[in-house]
Amino acid sequence: MMILKVKNLHKIYKNGTHALKGITFDVKEGEFLVIIGLSGSGKSTLLRCINRLIEPTAGSVYFLDKDITHVKGEELRKVKTQIGMVFQQFNLINRRSVLTNVISGKLGQLGTFSSVFEKFPQSLYDEAYKSLETVGIKEKVDERADSLSGGQQQRVAIARSLMQNPKLLLADEPVASLDPATSNSVMQYFEKINKDFGTTVICNLHFLSLVRKYATRVIALKAGEIIYQGLPSEINETWFKTIYGEEAEEVEIR
Amino acid sequence: MISNPELELHPAKIIQLNKQREDKIKFFKAVLLDIFFVFYSILVLQRAIYYKFILQLKDIPFSWGEIGVIFIFSVMLGTIWAFTKTSLSCKLFGVAKENKTTKWTVEIFGWFLFNITFIAGWIITRLSIVDLFSSEGIRGAERIFGSLFRPEMGIFDDSLFAMIETIYIALLATLISIPPTLLLSFVTARNLMKDNKFTFAIYYVLRIILNFVRSIEPLIWAIIFSVWVGIGPFAGMTALLVHTIASNAKLYSEAIENIETGPVEAISATGANKIQIVWYAVVPQIVLPFLSFTIYRWDINVRMATIIGLVGGGGIGTMLMQYQGLARWHEVGLIVLMVAFVVWVMDYISAKIREAIY
Ligand SMILES: Nc1ncnc2c1ncn2[C@@H]1O[C@H](COP(=O)(O)OP(=O)(O)O)[C@@H](O)[C@H]1O
Ligand SMILES: [Mg+2]
Repeated sequence: MMILKVKNLHKIYKNGTHALKGITFDVKEGEFLVIIGLSGSGKSTLLRCINRLIEPTAGSVYFLDKDITHVKGEELRKVKTQIGMVFQQFNLINRRSVLTNVISGKLGQLGTFSSVFEKFPQSLYDEAYKSLETVGIKEKVDERADSLSGGQQQRVAIARSLMQNPKLLLADEPVASLDPATSNSVMQYFEKINKDFGTTVICNLHFLSLVRKYATRVIALKAGEIIYQGLPSEINETWFKTIYGEEAEEVEIR
Repeated sequence: MISNPELELHPAKIIQLNKQREDKIKFFKAVLLDIFFVFYSILVLQRAIYYKFILQLKDIPFSWGEIGVIFIFSVMLGTIWAFTKTSLSCKLFGVAKENKTTKWTVEIFGWFLFNITFIAGWIITRLSIVDLFSSEGIRGAERIFGSLFRPEMGIFDDSLFAMIETIYIALLATLISIPPTLLLSFVTARNLMKDNKFTFAIYYVLRIILNFVRSIEPLIWAIIFSVWVGIGPFAGMTALLVHTIASNAKLYSEAIENIETGPVEAISATGANKIQIVWYAVVPQIVLPFLSFTIYRWDINVRMATIIGLVGGGGIGTMLMQYQGLARWHEVGLIVLMVAFVVWVMDYISAKIREAIY
């Protein structure tokens, strides 16, 4: 079954930048789709258009066979609760505890009153601990988010999105600000979520070695257009040069 | 299943239309500004430089008819000027033709505006070096400075009480201002209000009102309130309160506008509603700046409370004014020293507290 269909998607920013120029692709349930491309090729814009953090200019997005391109208000919030998102800069609330950060992933399903006064049922705390356990940092639960290392912060961010029990998990260059070793360990959590929970993952990545290791399918963007779609193993020297330019050279990361 | 006709837009067309609309708005603004420039130049040339400086008139003739004629003339000239697309305002708004004429107009007219403004300013304030160094003036200054260093200690108790009153006026105004300021700062933060037409309208109207309230000095508010609620500390407190709310709401809302957007994006991506987003992603980022502004404002309010006393707002200022009216300079000296000391201490304390919380 197709979990996501993107049809002829365009995004034109207010300043006139034409960031997406007619993107069309489908995502099957359970896939680990990786999007690659140079900086500025439109990867972040694409993910943000999918979960409607920004409004696409034209085209449509179908999530679970429902057109979500123009849903508004409550209905849009419902859609968002089913799509998790992880960011390059982690985007945690720095001054709050790890626990509060993780729980904030559940806000879409909580009442306004109980979330403002932080009156949560025990089951919610249990769920938060479980999410933290999945990413292996349960012991940091009471620490302030900004006291953690980059890799730990990203794992908290993953735990936060797990609270949504997302059907689809979007990750915008989740390891781009981490060192190689940490990158690999963080990617393993995405793999685990994808395999164990069957969560579909769409992930923007830079390093081809990571792409080959984790992706089940690859889409390459260049200047807002899809120039390659296929298996990671099929990306050869020629494709690499087309995607990243003649000057580029592949860097290994393990 | 697909093909909503509205979606079949030509991206290039959208870009072009956006740009055209923006340019139109910019040009309209340029026309208005050019009209203002012409109007201003004529008025300054005529009234300050011709009447006052060249003819040396004491009473400048004034008639609405004359101003009206100048205005209509300015509208015509300014509009024509803007339509040549070589005017100063066209350049300022980036819609001018890029050629020699534009370059020359901008340079010459820019200099012209600067010079007539400076000359008019000189004439209007009657800058006079002579007064500053006249022997009579210097003697007056000597008398006051002399008294400052020989303060009359007999009124120490009274002025201490008045000083305490002033500090409390400032403290109360600051404390009471906090809840309304908080509320106002959220509804006047552009990033929180811009997505929805209704909330944007609220934002817009409140911003205008707050700007207006803030642009009226606390001193003027004190005069208004001393008529309204009667002379005394309450009038002074209310005046400070009103101004504090308006000023701090602006500072707070700017802090809200400058928060990191990452956490906001992350929380809204979870499907949280507006209030939850504000509470979880905005509030934690602004608690410290808010505290810091508020403490700083207390410090400012102590200074302002002194001044406000001069027009009947109570406290040390009122006392200062009474002794000054009686020309009792030694008493004035004591009060001035006390004010200087307290302001210095407050300044120091508030700086230390603000340092500590960051
Ligand atoms: N908010 C924005 N306003 C205007 N242009 C933007 C904005 N965000 C991104 N862009 C532009 O859109 C293009 C695609 O950017 P992005 O989606 O961030 O690419 P990537 O994530 O692949 O680096 C770039 O040219 C970028 O400058
Ligand atoms: Mg990006």
